Amino acid sequence: MLIIENLTKTYDNGFTALRNINLEIPDGQFVSIIGLSGSGKSTLLRCINRLIDPTDGRILWNGLDITRATDDELRQIRRRIGMIFQQFNLVKRSSVLTNVLSGRLGYMNPVYSLINYFPNSEKERAVAALQRVGIADKANNRASALSGGQQQRVGIARALMQEPEMLLADEPVASLDPATSHSVMKYLQLLNEEDGITVLCSLHFLSLARAYADRVIALKDGRLEFDGLPKDIDNERFKQIYGEDAVEVEIH
Amino acid sequence: MNASASASSGSRAAFRRLLFVGGAVLLLIIFAYGWTVTDIDFSVPQQPQRQENVGNALRELLSPRVFDQDYEILNTTTSFGMSCSDGWSASAPAVDGDQPYIIITPTCAESGEVVTIDGYNFAPDSLARVNWIGSDGERRIRQVIGASEDNFVTENDGTFQVQIDVPRIRGSAGETHTIEVQGRFPIGSPRLSETTLLVLEKMSETIFLALIATAVSILPSAILSFLAAHNLMRPIKIPLGNLLVTFILFPVGAVIGALILGGVGKFAFNLVGAPASTASAGVILLFGTAAATRRLGANALNDHPSIPRTLLNAALGAVAVTAGIGLLGGVSALIGRYTSEGDFGFIGVFLSSVGQLIDLIIVLIAAVVGAFTLSSMGTTLTRDALKEVSLPLSRILGAVLGGVAGIILLGAAATVSLGAAWMGLLPPIIAAALGASVLPSLFQRFFRGGQRQIVLSRTERLLNMALSWIGALTAFVVTFAVLNVGRALVEGSAPPRLVLFNVLGVDLYLYVAEAMLIGAVLGAVTGGIAGTRSSFPAGSVLYTATRTILNALRSIEPLIMGLVFVIWVGIGPFAGVLALALHSIASLGKLYSEQIESIDSGPIEALESTGANRLQTIMYAVVPQIIPPYIAFTMYRWDINVRMSTIIGFVGGGGIGFVLQQQINLLRYRDAGVAVLAIAIVVSILDYASAAIRERYT
Repeated sequence: MLIIENLTKTYDNGFTALRNINLEIPDGQFVSIIGLSGSGKSTLLRCINRLIDPTDGRILWNGLDITRATDDELRQIRRRIGMIFQQFNLVKRSSVLTNVLSGRLGYMNPVYSLINYFPNSEKERAVAALQRVGIADKANNRASALSGGQQQRVGIARALMQEPEMLLADEPVASLDPATSHSVMKYLQLLNEEDGITVLCSLHFLSLARAYADRVIALKDGRLEFDGLPKDIDNERFKQIYGEDAVEVEIH
Repeated sequence: MNASASASSGSRAAFRRLLFVGGAVLLLIIFAYGWTVTDIDFSVPQQPQRQENVGNALRELLSPRVFDQDYEILNTTTSFGMSCSDGWSASAPAVDGDQPYIIITPTCAESGEVVTIDGYNFAPDSLARVNWIGSDGERRIRQVIGASEDNFVTENDGTFQVQIDVPRIRGSAGETHTIEVQGRFPIGSPRLSETTLLVLEKMSETIFLALIATAVSILPSAILSFLAAHNLMRPIKIPLGNLLVTFILFPVGAVIGALILGGVGKFAFNLVGAPASTASAGVILLFGTAAATRRLGANALNDHPSIPRTLLNAALGAVAVTAGIGLLGGVSALIGRYTSEGDFGFIGVFLSSVGQLIDLIIVLIAAVVGAFTLSSMGTTLTRDALKEVSLPLSRILGAVLGGVAGIILLGAAATVSLGAAWMGLLPPIIAAALGASVLPSLFQRFFRGGQRQIVLSRTERLLNMALSWIGALTAFVVTFAVLNVGRALVEGSAPPRLVLFNVLGVDLYLYVAEAMLIGAVLGAVTGGIAGTRSSFPAGSVLYTATRTILNALRSIEPLIMGLVFVIWVGIGPFAGVLALALHSIASLGKLYSEQIESIDSGPIEALESTGANRLQTIMYAVVPQIIPPYIAFTMYRWDINVRMSTIIGFVGGGGIGFVLQQQINLLRYRDAGVAVLAIAIVVSILDYASAAIRERYT
């Protein structure tokens, strides 16, 4: 259970990205976060694993107060929360396998990282993770040699290495074409259904949210605008979230 | 309205024109003044004497003495009848295979007449001259007709035909004279000149000088570059309490480390040598490595050991590292001792030298290891406790710890400033840095109710800045006055060393004690207001300090550093290596750190989100991205160092510059030309090679 209480974030430049957000997300849910660019989707996701420190409010996860965790505790929490990114955030010059293995660093003795050593059991785990996303044959390629959709699958495999209980996906398909988008979303759905991983996924397209999410959260100017089932977003709600001039586009 | 608009735009245009003219005049004035200051005078280069001099110098520079040739002079003679009577006949020329011979036509003539000399079998395109040996036996050089010098050049088939006047030699008519041709014959094939051999030797010294200076600078500058990269450092914030504990324990750990670990290191170093102890050292090294590997293998996964376990690990690790370095030093000294003979003796000499270095600095290494170990142990012990202290207690703790830290900081600064007069500015500057934070935090504490302001309005920012400056200036002036820095600056002498009292065999000077008092007050006030729980931008402070030092070092030319190192280690390439290495560290540190600042931050964010710690994030997200530019910049630096090392010899830093300077001073421009040629060749080859390699990696 993830509980967010009165979450507020004001950046150093004075911009308030989140205002007083309250949410309860039960384990195993597939939650989609929608809203315009700048509405606070990325900030909300990054506050949950504290890549961004919130200004005010609390985030409780399975009883742990993430907002008050020390550096050490935070690392313990983070290694159970996977994250994938719009720009994939792979090390382009490193091999696919190394990129995937780096998802396991939170579990490794830091001394080993100095000599770039991973036990064989971890390498097998990495290959298994790549197999799950269907690109085990690319393990020894450089990450930069892969297509966008493949790179995002490497990102998912990297998150899988953490054995995550929750997955934060920040616009995972915004840089991909529609067909690839669906393939990546299907993998997220698979992890949600098979492994019971809670997924929080921010999306641009409402149609994707309708297709994959159990629940939709809409943000507007940092406020919670809507929290409910995908099918409850009618035309009027849509215009509330995206503005009067918006027209819904479908992505197939 | 239109009229007024056009009038205003008209006046603006006029103003602009005025500005333009004014700017042009100003530029003219600056250039004219610069012309005078730099003594530019075109009449000097027109002087014929100077033109001739520079022409000669350039001619010699462009005729480098690269090759040499040995010669022998062979004399070929034939007889000649001066105003001969009938019946005189010349001796027949000895025409003998490939020996040189000459034929005179006519063989008999009056003084003042012209005779022709034909020569055969001489060296082609070689010098020769004609001597007239009179009946009196005196040898006279005869210039050939049409020549301006004594020598003439033979044809390319080894023959020649020249004409000379028959000289007037009183009272020698009717006598037999001898005509001699001295020909120059090369011995063997041309070879490289002595100068060339010297230049080649010095050039290889130059290249290796640059190589070693670059190589030793790579590791320090790579480490510094991480500290000087703002994208890595700025996010690092540490609770003030933890930082103060670390800071206070650092010197304590250094002393303990030097005493205890230093002894361990020395012991390990000396263990190697005698057969029995060498064997035991080998066993220790073997088992130590095996045990360490096994322990690490068991802990491949991060199991977050308990606090006592962590402390024990840290202590054992410190002992192992110091002993290991000591053993390595001992081993390399030992191997060096037995391999420093023979053709590959330089390897042994190198190993001995490494061993010697480790022997010299083992106590220093132990101090550093001890400092880091003790401060990390202290952090481990106090972290949890410091997190839970209440606000009032955190202020009291902050004041106490801050006071102690201030004493250490200013005490250290004052001790350093005992060295030289202008170092006396160090304590006031550090006091100013401490004082800068006092007033703004006081203001916030008492007028803002201690609430942390997220966003400051413009006026508040200005107010804060003003308060910072006031605090900094006050602290500076007070420290300056108390420590009497002004007197030191004027007289150029370090502060007096009045011994206040003696602590454990160490003299405490009055001057240092005063600085410590100031440090205690400033540290206590700052720490007390902030409290141990406030976060301190340790990364930004470290970043600024590293950048400042790098920039200061970089602004000193290697030639000037070379002057100082020549005083320290004497004339020779060692001084050059030190000077170039120091400058390379500063310069590569900056270049490297700029590469870190320009990497893609995405992978860093991604790895942080997986729970990797800072070291792991750097190893897996930063290092792979910076290796290619690091290689490129290292090559570039080697290139620069080769150029630099060609002139570091001018100040005694070894290498080819030394030869070049000597030859220029001796006005031997042909020999200087060889050095210039060698520099040009090597620099252009390296330029090309480094460009090619850089292109591959960027």
